[in-house]
Amino acid sequence: MIMAESQVNVSQPETNEFKPKIAAFLCNWCSYAGADLAGVGRIQYPASIRTIRVPCSGRINPLYVLKAMANGADGVLVSGCHPGDCHYISGNYVARRKFALIQSLLKHVGLEEGRVNFSWVSAAEGGRFAEVVKGVTERVTALGPNNGVFKVADGGGTDE
Amino acid sequence: MNSIISDIRETARQLLADGKVDVVIGYEKGSLPLKATPCFVRSPQDADKLIWDETCENNLAAFATKTAGKKAIVAKGCDSRALVVLMQENQLVKDDLYVIGVSCQGVIDKKKIEAETGEILEAIIAEGKLSVKGIACDKEFNFIDVKDATCQTCRYPNPVIEDIHIGGSVEVPQQTVAFADVIEMENRTDSERQAYFQEQMKKCIRCYACRNACPMCYCSECFVDCNSPKWLTGGVDRAENLLFQAGRVLHLAGRCVDCGACSRACPQGVDIRALNRKLTKDVSEMYHHEAGISEEVKPALNVYSADDPEAFLVKE
Amino acid sequence: MKISKEKFGQSFDALTADYQIIAPIADVNGVNYQVVKNFSEVKQDYLNSKLPPKSFLFPQHEKLLSYKKEGKDVIVKNELKVGKTVLFGIRPCDAKGMLLLDKVFKNDAYTDPYYFERRDNTVVIGVACNKIAPTCFCSSMGISPSSSEGSDIFLIDLGDSYQVEAVTEKGKAIAASLVELVELTTEEQAQVDTIKNAQTTSKVDVATITSKLGTMFNHAYWDTLQEKCIGCNACSFSCPTCHCFDISEEVRKNEGTRVRTWDGCMSPLFTLHGSGHNPRNKHEARWRQRMMHKFNYFVQNNGDIACVGCGRCIKSCPVNLDIRQAIDGVNKAELVVE
Repeated sequence: MIMAESQVNVSQPETNEFKPKIAAFLCNWCSYAGADLAGVGRIQYPASIRTIRVPCSGRINPLYVLKAMANGADGVLVSGCHPGDCHYISGNYVARRKFALIQSLLKHVGLEEGRVNFSWVSAAEGGRFAEVVKGVTERVTALGPNNGVFKVADGGGTDE
Repeated sequence: MNSIISDIRETARQLLADGKVDVVIGYEKGSLPLKATPCFVRSPQDADKLIWDETCENNLAAFATKTAGKKAIVAKGCDSRALVVLMQENQLVKDDLYVIGVSCQGVIDKKKIEAETGEILEAIIAEGKLSVKGIACDKEFNFIDVKDATCQTCRYPNPVIEDIHIGGSVEVPQQTVAFADVIEMENRTDSERQAYFQEQMKKCIRCYACRNACPMCYCSECFVDCNSPKWLTGGVDRAENLLFQAGRVLHLAGRCVDCGACSRACPQGVDIRALNRKLTKDVSEMYHHEAGISEEVKPALNVYSADDPEAFLVKE
Repeated sequence: MKISKEKFGQSFDALTADYQIIAPIADVNGVNYQVVKNFSEVKQDYLNSKLPPKSFLFPQHEKLLSYKKEGKDVIVKNELKVGKTVLFGIRPCDAKGMLLLDKVFKNDAYTDPYYFERRDNTVVIGVACNKIAPTCFCSSMGISPSSSEGSDIFLIDLGDSYQVEAVTEKGKAIAASLVELVELTTEEQAQVDTIKNAQTTSKVDVATITSKLGTMFNHAYWDTLQEKCIGCNACSFSCPTCHCFDISEEVRKNEGTRVRTWDGCMSPLFTLHGSGHNPRNKHEARWRQRMMHKFNYFVQNNGDIACVGCGRCIKSCPVNLDIRQAIDGVNKAELVVE
């Protein structure tokens, strides 16, 4: 099950400082390769993301984003190929409409701006990928832990 | 009896007598005051059960996909829009459908009345006025004041598709500001909106009346019922309720015809429409699409344009 | 005997020291049972709550136990937490509903500890209905708007005071703490008699329904009855006697919980097997089950009809599928000779 990966608990040094966990859904052909390039190029970026590789940004079900938040991710990053560069011709164009609506709905129900982030990163943009992760991490860190609009308390029990 | 009712009955009788349809789906008088109930007429002599008034609140398009055979459906403007979307999505075959179009003045929001009179004992509707005898008090209402919120902003009171039209047509009310209700909500602060929706979600008991009353929710397996992956646990936690509602609303984006059936079906009075309306506004502004207006125009999320707005992207 | 509301309020507030008190309050969502701290919060003038009080004995989503894997060991934790509770302002229909639930959760072979741990620690203070809703039909179900069955203490609201009747031993213990019980005046006695004589105006005939249903397993009636039903669980979830549930595991990594969640027979998923086979594949079968369970199977198993006539399902149904009409339909259905 894909969602299980977002729950992987990478051990971090014990400090009081808030280190966000960010679920990153990256398309196989561009953004994942961009992340790979950042690694190969030894470009430093925060170890806050938990990467989930998907075949195409068009494959991202809006529920992935919501469920990541429900399972306690402090932030979400979704990234695919730049418009025009989709490996499947139009996957990211279709995704773009969905993403715009997800972003708008989440703001409407009171989720802070900056928790859920969307970007286009190509396979050649290793440096930019690092910048995106840095920016997202900074924003989520500033917001603090997942505020629970979607986060299910205690594994799904009743909260009252 | 007004002429609309007698015309609906006559049409139903003819269709059944001529064998053109197997069933006519319409409304009959319900067991409660101010409540009509869906009815399925299968023989010409039963056609006299059919009624038409401001209490015909269900969206009968929801039954179109579930009812086998050739069917005629009494359709308001919003019901007809739902039928258009269902046909676009290959859920209905046009040849099996006969649309009895009726222009609609709007339906009554019973909850609004009961909030003032308590449980309704008796009610009479006449000339734009309602005299209600309630268990707490008796009161007279102007129909316009107790019209369902959806109908207050309705832009399609007349059916968009129909095989026969019954009664006159209703003049489309002029709106000064489109989506005024959504704009009001957008103008609140993040924390105010958050508080509002949390309050709403607290009421939800996850009976799924909203989903089942919705003509567009026809998935054979809804994501809430799916157990691999298990999107929801089945708990009635506020956050989970929001996950359900947000998931449903996103699934309805560009497909919702704003009939308000979900909100009216909700036994708990959850403001489900506030979420649906927001996405209807977004789809209309960003992709210039309105669901169920024309069979030719493809649903907004099935198509794309190279220059779709992407203001939602990160700034890095 | 009666007690003034002022004095009763003082005793009520004193009870909050030892008990969690759940009483009807008015909120944005109408009248519902919630935890109260003070008698002044309690809604006095109400027909009945929107949702039945059954969730305080049988929660919609209840953790049964939790478990955690540590090394080679599995640590299991009992999640049952129960305190002493008073359910105040329970209407006769709901009090009877609890008696019916008792029969579900206790039989010769098994007593459900989760339900009875709560039940045994709960005192039910019932209040007679002074007003009767048009959707109420408890009088047809062997109850009345003033029946004390199922209550530990039963009150009749006389405006400024309550007439008090301690019904059970449990009730007597609490009633003993009510000070300044005084005799009723003649007028008040007349008022009590009026309330006690009141019956619901809406009635159904269930005299022969159990035996009639016994002959109706394969009957065309179910085809027409179910037609307008949209298959939601608004009726089941608002019913004081519906008790079907599902037990599932909520697992994350090395830990999880076992939970019990309300389920409802109107959902196709309710009987769906893992194989994909569904013994109640059609909605006709689901409606037959609903009627059979309430009016036939439950009577056979427990000697009572599993409907108390509260009318909540009638009010909550989005398509106005009225159980009174469904009962009527059974009575009128032609017997089929097989």
